[in-house]
Amino acid sequence: MVGIVVVSHSAKVAEGICELAGQMAAPGQKIIAAGGIADGGIGTDAFKIQAAIEEANTGDGVLVMVDLGSAVMSAELAIDMLVDELKDRVAIADAPILEGTVAAVVDASIGQPLVSVAATAAGARELRKR
Amino acid sequence: MTKIELVLTNAAGLHARPAAQFVQKASSYASKVTLLAGTKTADAKSILAIMGLGLGQGTKIELTADGPDETACLAGLQALVESNFGEG
Repeated sequence: MVGIVVVSHSAKVAEGICELAGQMAAPGQKIIAAGGIADGGIGTDAFKIQAAIEEANTGDGVLVMVDLGSAVMSAELAIDMLVDELKDRVAIADAPILEGTVAAVVDASIGQPLVSVAATAAGARELRKR
Repeated sequence: MTKIELVLTNAAGLHARPAAQFVQKASSYASKVTLLAGTKTADAKSILAIMGLGLGQGTKIELTADGPDETACLAGLQALVESNFGEG
């Protein structure tokens, strides 16, 4: 199963999204939070994200969900720091972080490949509230 | 090709967690499964399509399965819907 990493400036947001999306996950589905910076403050930390990606990978690659602004840059930096063979199997989702994570987790849980999970996450942009 | 009609009786309808359970159950079978509600159809294995329908409690749905395990597939989905997705 494709692993999912949730990157937010807030550790609480990242953990909360993982908690919620975990309700939709099949057993064994990895959903790893990488929120906040080392001292617990608001921000994103490339080292934390790198460790989360490594933890989320079970061999099928990892989709990284990001919130605002510099979360994307930190995630890109984290991917740069990975070993080459993993680097090629990680993607950053261009998707809303909550709806995208929920949709991605369902798709990953049914065994879809990274390209499909990433497309499903991006498709969550079109979900209407009513 | 096999068809069944069901009514969503659980409180949440086919949203969020029930939608995820439904898609995961449908995906565990080889058959192609289509959900019809009113005039709208959705691929039962697509979480976006199912969540996008936003079907609430009391909605009548028709499920069509086509494939080698279509009977087992519809029986599995029927059991899930009729169990109210474990909502109790």
